[in-house]
Amino acid sequence: MEELNTLSALQAPISRRRLLQGSAVAGAAAFLAACGGGGTATEEPTPGGSSTVGPTVEPTVAEVPIEGPLNFANWPAYIDLTEDETSSPTLEAFKAEYGIEVNYVEDIQANEDFVATITQALDAGLDTGWDLMVLTDYMAARLVRKGWLDEIDPANVPTAAANLRGALRGLAWDPDQKFHYPWQSGADGVGYNRVSTGRDLTSLGDLFDPAFAGKVTLLSGYQDSFAMIHLLLRQQGKLTTTPDQMTVADAQKIHDFLKPYVDSGHIRGFTGNEYLQDFGSGDTWVAIVWSGDLASSGGPDDRFVYASEGSIIWTDNMVIPKGAVHKRAAEAMIDWVYDVDRAAALANWIYYISPVAGVEEAILALDPEAGANPLLFPPAQVVEKQYAQPALSDEDDLAVSELASDLEGA
Amino acid sequence: MIGRLVHRYRWAVPYVLMAPGLLWLVAFFVVPMVPMILFSISEGTVNTGIVQPPDVWAIGNYPEVVVKFQDNVRNSLVFGALATTLCFAIGYPLAYAIAFRGGRYKNLLLFLVIAPFFTSFLIRTISWKVILGNDGPFLAVVRDALHLVPANFSVMGTPLAVVSGLTYQLLPFMVLPLYVSLEKVDIRFIEAARDLYAGPWRPRGTAIGAALGGALAIALMVGLRYADPGDPSGLVAAGGAALVGALLGGLVAHFLVTEAFVRVVFPLSLPGVFAASILTFIPAVGDYVNADLLGVSPNNQMIGNVIQNRYLFQTDYPVASALSFILMGAILLAIALYAKVLGTEELTGGRA
Repeated sequence: MEELNTLSALQAPISRRRLLQGSAVAGAAAFLAACGGGGTATEEPTPGGSSTVGPTVEPTVAEVPIEGPLNFANWPAYIDLTEDETSSPTLEAFKAEYGIEVNYVEDIQANEDFVATITQALDAGLDTGWDLMVLTDYMAARLVRKGWLDEIDPANVPTAAANLRGALRGLAWDPDQKFHYPWQSGADGVGYNRVSTGRDLTSLGDLFDPAFAGKVTLLSGYQDSFAMIHLLLRQQGKLTTTPDQMTVADAQKIHDFLKPYVDSGHIRGFTGNEYLQDFGSGDTWVAIVWSGDLASSGGPDDRFVYASEGSIIWTDNMVIPKGAVHKRAAEAMIDWVYDVDRAAALANWIYYISPVAGVEEAILALDPEAGANPLLFPPAQVVEKQYAQPALSDEDDLAVSELASDLEGA
Repeated sequence: MIGRLVHRYRWAVPYVLMAPGLLWLVAFFVVPMVPMILFSISEGTVNTGIVQPPDVWAIGNYPEVVVKFQDNVRNSLVFGALATTLCFAIGYPLAYAIAFRGGRYKNLLLFLVIAPFFTSFLIRTISWKVILGNDGPFLAVVRDALHLVPANFSVMGTPLAVVSGLTYQLLPFMVLPLYVSLEKVDIRFIEAARDLYAGPWRPRGTAIGAALGGALAIALMVGLRYADPGDPSGLVAAGGAALVGALLGGLVAHFLVTEAFVRVVFPLSLPGVFAASILTFIPAVGDYVNADLLGVSPNNQMIGNVIQNRYLFQTDYPVASALSFILMGAILLAIALYAKVLGTEELTGGRA
């Protein structure tokens, strides 16, 4: 699937998007080349088991050198680009500072799909080929539970440790930031093309306007779409819980609500980040989308709104897969993006919410008009209707995934 | 010395010649089947842990997945059959023209048939996304210029897109075997048939052509879900399409088909028809790329998509394996029926 999506660059008419995809293809090629060479590196036993370098160990005498290439898997539309959109200032500066290559690949379109590609390597205790990857809370938490992540050495990420926002600290699944540092936070909302729809949309109910039949997509899996429809049904009085309290029974009602729309073809499909291409080609008019993408990488008529029923917030996190060959470089990258000024430049380009404390002032210093941008600074009436994603037990997760899978037709 | 040895063990020569192929099949087809069969009667996923025989004998997986994924099985068979039929309808005249009228351009024409294979299969499917997409040339003509369809009409995400993609991709598999069998037909047989008063194929041919054309039109309307047989307006649409199909089929049979073709050339090409249909139908039924990239909608997903999704993303090996065997069984059954209809002699290339 990942290759398929990367190759879709062919059809995207949006310039920013196309270059983004182009760089992903180049990145993938470089990454493959790196894998070829990387084979020899994995044959040597990893010196001293890098995962044991933790707070309990005295500061190591000889510092582990920062070696590349850093194989970094991230989502599309999630990095800043230069004016001509051929490279990323954040990554270029990092390369120059440390003198190593970064294979930045936009390989993650959906948490489940991406993790599926590395599950077997992780299960077998093999190198996944990645040094750093960005996963949403629930998936990062699942990987922590599985023991599939390497510990981040706090000595190597002093900036990140100092600058992480208080609100994002002390999460139950990783209270001491042993395994993760947030990349960005964002929200689920309604994306639409103003010209195709012919009107401005405000609510989740608008997704089901018969005028948009066959032009609507939802996000795959249950974490985003089911949670959003949960809010719609709650508004209609059909559910009493909030999305973060979702039960299997709630999910069943959501499934039953959506099923007729899937059968009739009103809902055209379930996507990951590919919705960006579909908006570009006009095949999708209305969709449940992630907050910053359309603003940073959509067309001029593509809009994002926080639905009047409420929105779902989440955080995507940088994590290091077990057995990462260039772990030290991954730690350097984590620390790099936690510098306040760099974080401000990044967030102001991709329009997501930075996890770095004090970034608001830095963004306003860069761009005084950004203060009015609801993507970077969600208004109070939006914030009060924001909910976290569902948190289900493994057993319930399976049951609800099965419901989502039934809707998705496979 | 060696000559004498070979002579002495002449009986072994065929086995030696077959050995590489047989070993290959055993290593890469038979051996992997064993764990697959075991998976197909196991329980659980890689994430939750797979319980295999002898701890569990989940034979129930088979009926369970057939019921659960009946829509996908139906899509596979319907889309596969339609794509094969369309390939035949397009490919037979093409192969015929190249074989009998190609003249000195034969090789060039054959090269053009296989030329698309020089590009990646994925690139070609993605190009179809552009062609059939909302801003693509197809809708620019049909929707914007001719106003034949409403403004929110899509091709992407419909069965039409999937069947179009399959037909395009598999056409060479249809044309090449047909060409080979038509090329072998001795032109003097046709001359002999003409000498024996085999003329135009009418009026009977006109009726048969009209019937076939009408049937194909109905199959397309229903199979591509443009007409719901349970709904009166669907019946009207199917009837209208049947009239158009019958008219076209009748005209083709009336003016283009001769009795010499029906009685001599077509029967002689049957081995090619059989081989070509199988080579087209099997990959069509098992395909998942077209349904994924062009079909988009959950309603258009084929059995291959479920297998791919279960194997690669949900790590649900039992369901994926059971479905794989069901697909294999369904294809074997379909081929057996088909061979029965065409007559088993043609299977081995016997002459009619």
